[in-house]
Amino acid sequence: MGGQVIEFSNVGLRYGHGPEILRDLTFRIEPGSFHFLTGPSGSGKTSLLRLLLLSLKPTRGKLSLFGKDVSALDQDSLLQMRRHIGIVFQDFRLLEHLTTFENVALPLRVLGQPESEYRGNVTELLEWVGLGERMDALPALLSGGEKQRAAIARAVIGRPDILLADEPTGNVDPDLSLRLVRLFAELNKMGTTILLATHELPLLENFPFPRMLLDNGQVVLRG
Amino acid sequence: MVELRLPRLRMASTRPRSAPIVPERSVAGRTLVLLIAIMTFLSGVTLGGVVLVQKSAIAWSSDVGREVTIQIRPVEGEVMESNLRTAVALAEATPGVTATRALTLEESEALLEPWLGAGVDLSAIEIPRLVVVELGDPADADIPKLERDLAAVKGATLDTHAAWRQQLNVMAGTIVVSGLLVLSLIVVATVLAIIFATRGTMASNREIVDVLHFIGASNSFIAGEFQGRFLSIGFRGGVFGGIAAVAFFAAVGLTAGNMVPNEASAQLGILFGRFALGIDGIIGIAAVVPVIAALTAITSRLTVRRFLTQTS
Repeated sequence: MGGQVIEFSNVGLRYGHGPEILRDLTFRIEPGSFHFLTGPSGSGKTSLLRLLLLSLKPTRGKLSLFGKDVSALDQDSLLQMRRHIGIVFQDFRLLEHLTTFENVALPLRVLGQPESEYRGNVTELLEWVGLGERMDALPALLSGGEKQRAAIARAVIGRPDILLADEPTGNVDPDLSLRLVRLFAELNKMGTTILLATHELPLLENFPFPRMLLDNGQVVLRG
Repeated sequence: MVELRLPRLRMASTRPRSAPIVPERSVAGRTLVLLIAIMTFLSGVTLGGVVLVQKSAIAWSSDVGREVTIQIRPVEGEVMESNLRTAVALAEATPGVTATRALTLEESEALLEPWLGAGVDLSAIEIPRLVVVELGDPADADIPKLERDLAAVKGATLDTHAAWRQQLNVMAGTIVVSGLLVLSLIVVATVLAIIFATRGTMASNREIVDVLHFIGASNSFIAGEFQGRFLSIGFRGGVFGGIAAVAFFAAVGLTAGNMVPNEASAQLGILFGRFALGIDGIIGIAAVVPVIAALTAITSRLTVRRFLTQTS
């Protein structure tokens, strides 16, 4: 997919008839970049990520992904575009009845790939994120850090162009948080555009990536 | 940190087959299997009942239709035996008639016994006499000709049992239509139950649906995953219910055979047919199983698609 990866032009978002959660967002994210998205709780970080994940559409303004206006896309095109976007949540969202391997392989499975085709890649990726020995474990038996690494592996197994992360370090200790963000940085080095939402400001001091501060529904600082 | 090389394929050790995306336990499985088994059983029993009634009605109607009766009432100045012979001769000359037999006086008196009681001396009075006429193919028999010819015999009337057959056909038709109506209601009730079960399943599996959505699964894929679960449940429930329905008819047939004495059973068999489904009845019930399974799968798929359209 070509063009600007992410472009917001005066984007606004409201739920139903409520107040605007996001207002006049105008910014652009270049391919292969890494941005932190920060802001206090309730500032709209998750809503912004949901817009990027295409599970919401802007109520006004224009949001373009890969050079295409998402409001003009039909369901099929949205689905195809969503497959170029990976997402990692604070609460991991792993399926509890599937093993680590099966959870990570899920995006390939829904594309109809047979296991014989993806087995090697999933195994290698799990080893890369340090879960080589935990492939057959169910999520209930994984630690918070292991769960998050499995969630990251699931998000990148389909080799997305954009990787979104919503408070991915929210449920792990500071040391592991640092290691997880380094993992994102490694993925960014391989060309994936990353937008990582977090409110842990001390964590950001360890990385040189630009920050977008979202406050009261608006981007008020970009450094 | 190790460099990531995604394109390189490396075969891992043999792994067990991947678990289903929609876990079996997350669907109200056992309850739904039981419910579908009950619905299939009811459908099977209704269908079997309809088949039994229809088969008996056809057999009875066919038997009755192969026979007509000439009744000769005593008429003053007429000789009964002479009229009987004439009637028999006329019947034998009619196209399509295969056999003709005049009932003897004793046989005719015996027919009155149930009404007049045994031991009544009927020699003092003249009683009507009957000629039983058997037809080969009722459609080929020239009954109007026989009716016209019998006009020459004083006191003779022809009974084709048409009123009985018509009454029987109306009764059988009513039972068949009622059975089909009940069957339709069972199907509607099954569909409604599956819709409720599917909605409940979707609500309790909302997290799985969300995960599948954000990793790029299409609504069609998600619906297919749930449909697979429901197809399996529908098939299992259908098989249990179908087997139970066939077993029910076998048990009732066996019990009826044991409870009624052999002679009475034979007479009942002649009157109402045997209480046996036959191969066509069993095939009918067996056909209910895939129909119920398909109905379950299609209903759940449509319900899931509707749910996904509403929620996405």
